[in-house]
Amino acid sequence: MKLTSSVDVKVRKKALEVLRDRFKELVNQILAGENPTIVIPKRTLSNTVYDEGRKLLLLGPDTLSRSFLDVRESKKFMQTVLMASIIYNALTNDEYPTIRDLFYRGKHTIRYRGPEGKVLGENTWDSQRESDSIIRDLEVFINMLREELLILSKEKGKVVGNMRIRSGDDVIDLSKMGHGAYSIEPTPDLIEFLDVDAEYVLIVEKDAVFQQLHRAGFWRKYKALLITSAGQPDRATRRFVRRLSEELKLPIYILTDSDPYGWYIYSVFKIGSITLSYESERLATPWLRFLGVMPSDIFGDVNIKKKPYLSESERRNYIIKAKERDIKRAKELINYKWFQTSRWKAEINIFLEKEAKLEIEALTSKGLKFLMDEYIPRKIEVKDWMD
Amino acid sequence: MSVQQLERFRSLSPAEFFYRNKEIAGFSNPARALYQSIRELVENALDATDSYGILPVIKVSIDSGVIPDKPEVYLISVEDNGIGIPPDNIPQAFAQLLYSSKYVLRQTRGMFGIGVKMAVLYSQITTGKPVEVLSSTINSSRIYMFRLSIDIKSNKPVIHHKASFKKSNDWHGTIVKLFIEGDWNRAKSKVYEYFKRTAIIAPYATIILKDPTDNVVYFKRSTTLMPRPPKEVKPHPHGVDIELLKMLISNTTTTTLKEFLMEEFQGIGEVTSKTIIELLKLDPNKDPKGLSNDEIELLAKVLKEFNNFKPPRPDSLSYLGEEIIKIGLESILKPEFVAANTRKPGVYEGHAFIVEVGLAYGGNIPPSEEPLLLRFANKIPLLYDERSDVSWKVVNQNIDWSLYEVEKPAPLAVLVHICSTKIPYKGVGKESIADVPEIENEIEKGVREVARELKSYIVRKRKEREEVEKAVGIIKYIPDIAKSLSSIVNDVQYNSLSNELFKLVLKKFKNVKFKSVDDVVVSVE
Repeated sequence: MKLTSSVDVKVRKKALEVLRDRFKELVNQILAGENPTIVIPKRTLSNTVYDEGRKLLLLGPDTLSRSFLDVRESKKFMQTVLMASIIYNALTNDEYPTIRDLFYRGKHTIRYRGPEGKVLGENTWDSQRESDSIIRDLEVFINMLREELLILSKEKGKVVGNMRIRSGDDVIDLSKMGHGAYSIEPTPDLIEFLDVDAEYVLIVEKDAVFQQLHRAGFWRKYKALLITSAGQPDRATRRFVRRLSEELKLPIYILTDSDPYGWYIYSVFKIGSITLSYESERLATPWLRFLGVMPSDIFGDVNIKKKPYLSESERRNYIIKAKERDIKRAKELINYKWFQTSRWKAEINIFLEKEAKLEIEALTSKGLKFLMDEYIPRKIEVKDWMD
Repeated sequence: MSVQQLERFRSLSPAEFFYRNKEIAGFSNPARALYQSIRELVENALDATDSYGILPVIKVSIDSGVIPDKPEVYLISVEDNGIGIPPDNIPQAFAQLLYSSKYVLRQTRGMFGIGVKMAVLYSQITTGKPVEVLSSTINSSRIYMFRLSIDIKSNKPVIHHKASFKKSNDWHGTIVKLFIEGDWNRAKSKVYEYFKRTAIIAPYATIILKDPTDNVVYFKRSTTLMPRPPKEVKPHPHGVDIELLKMLISNTTTTTLKEFLMEEFQGIGEVTSKTIIELLKLDPNKDPKGLSNDEIELLAKVLKEFNNFKPPRPDSLSYLGEEIIKIGLESILKPEFVAANTRKPGVYEGHAFIVEVGLAYGGNIPPSEEPLLLRFANKIPLLYDERSDVSWKVVNQNIDWSLYEVEKPAPLAVLVHICSTKIPYKGVGKESIADVPEIENEIEKGVREVARELKSYIVRKRKEREEVEKAVGIIKYIPDIAKSLSSIVNDVQYNSLSNELFKLVLKKFKNVKFKSVDDVVVSVE
């Protein structure tokens, strides 16, 4: 009986090859009496550049050399090599470790004699934060994403709609998921798109709103693929969305809370995150459109002659006073290059002026029908979205 | 105790005087008296050996319970392998205070011959027992034995028993046995400290100590290097006072003032002698024994004030030298670093002096806020009144140790040895040295010199340590790296990777002495 999919077998073979080749270079350096050195692009804010043309956050040109003989880098050198060997062994043994598994598999104690002769103990790593960061280093060093190394993560993103895909060796119909939805697998690159009948994709930040729209038949009625990221999007959801956009050329809209955290979720989908900027090229969706909720949806905007979707009394009931940290975050966002369009600045300024935020749920309180049949379709129809 | 002070008590015999004032010689209570007696005997023993170029072997035993029903009486017995004392001199040497044959100066531990006689006096007063002395000089074929006490009223020796034996070997030296009322429990820590410090200052001596509990401590000789024995020199005119002048006059064989000045003092030749006599407006041919009290006083004043004498000669001083100090500190304190500095001879008030400074750091020295201060005057350890000593002031007030990279509490010991024909003691206890500017200055220069050596040692050690730390910080990762790489790249062995990585570390850190990764890494699990 064949247990694993043929797709995985192929991926494994390639990953093993890349790891062997890359680390063979280090072995050769050592055997030649040279100081073995891992050169990788720097993953720091200062080396994260916004590519205006492609509208992506990318890694800059700065590299860092992590060498064995550098006292400050020696531990990271060891950790990187250790992580590579754990992943290598998992691949050889047909396993699918999660990043948490990798943390545990690599965690052990080195006992050594200090300069005074006292025996001291040191862990290879103490927290998963540390090992996660090493995984990111390794990804940029061997130029492969963790998904290609068959490292799994918790599934968070969900999708429903009129679409059929192949996952592993099975065909899945995303329109026949009942009240549930298809959990986007951690290795979305291994998904094959078979056929699709949809006019656009709608991403909803909130899982609860996703479920309401799903059960009310939104995607059937409006020929949409409906996706939720359930908060901050994981890598798989971002990659899946990117492929929908790139391969199926579908317009992608996103609906988030009207606050700086919602806008940042949009930003991560669209141009990438700072910690993961090295994979923006594969994860970001530059053609993403921000559908709402915009501060102007709540308050209107006289400058563009836009009327609010909420009445005076609804506003009073639904809006939440912005907290200090929301204001602070908004002021940071407004300075990011990719928020410096006139429309975005205007929207953020309304927020700063009113100091008010709004959750998507407020719109369903006004009525699920309002959200489904009025707010979303009308905004798409009149092109009331932002790039 | 100066001679002038004695003058005022002329009506008392010196023995009586000292008995009434026993605290000034360090016999104020049973504990102190026991300590002081041991000291006096040991110092005589050392003087009888190292002043004559003999490597000392000193055996000390302190016994209790030697007299039935008198647990407070101890028997101190000290044996040396020194030059021995001629039998004719033994009674005076042990049982007559202020007995001294010559008024020449040379640096020895005991200067006026008071100490051991005080011990004898104290012994006979507290126990009624005579002192027993056995001695044989180097070329003598016999050993002489005396049992002596002091006639307090007349300050004359009383011989209770006298005997002599034929020597069956070539032994020479002196054995003194003394009964004394003491308090070992309270004296113990000072006695041990005294021996420890004596062993530091005289590493060329072998000293065996047996205490009343039959605990034996053996300080083994750690070098055969010895200080140069002091030469006898005549007094320098600047260091002379009226009493000394009177003694010189009464002992001189010269018959004219001019000859007296040229013969009995250092630094006075024919020309200087003439000049001084002109200043005195006296007849150069006058018999010195015929000088009046006024004339003697005038002579003392002129000798003090005249400025054209040659400085006092340091030949009379017996300093240890840097090598011996370092050996002494090393063998007793077991530090990781030692330094020593012997200063050039200096002069204060007509007395030559030499300051020697030693420093020991780290190792077995316990860290403390104040450096352990080891004070010595003419090779005698000074244990009391530390805070009023000029060395304490220099070490703890004049010197800022942080300038020398010393972080307190520090495992630091500082030794200060002052040699002089006249040590400027503060007070009568002879346990601390006065702040004489010339001496303080030399101590400070000496301490700064050794402190500079310490500083460069500390800096060098720190660098080496940092290098070891760095190397350890890398070596500890070698097993994980070698194991990981050899599991990814199949055609390379763990051992060869581990060896190559280790070689890389050694190549980078040249001072690191590890032989293999196993010297650092205990386990990886």
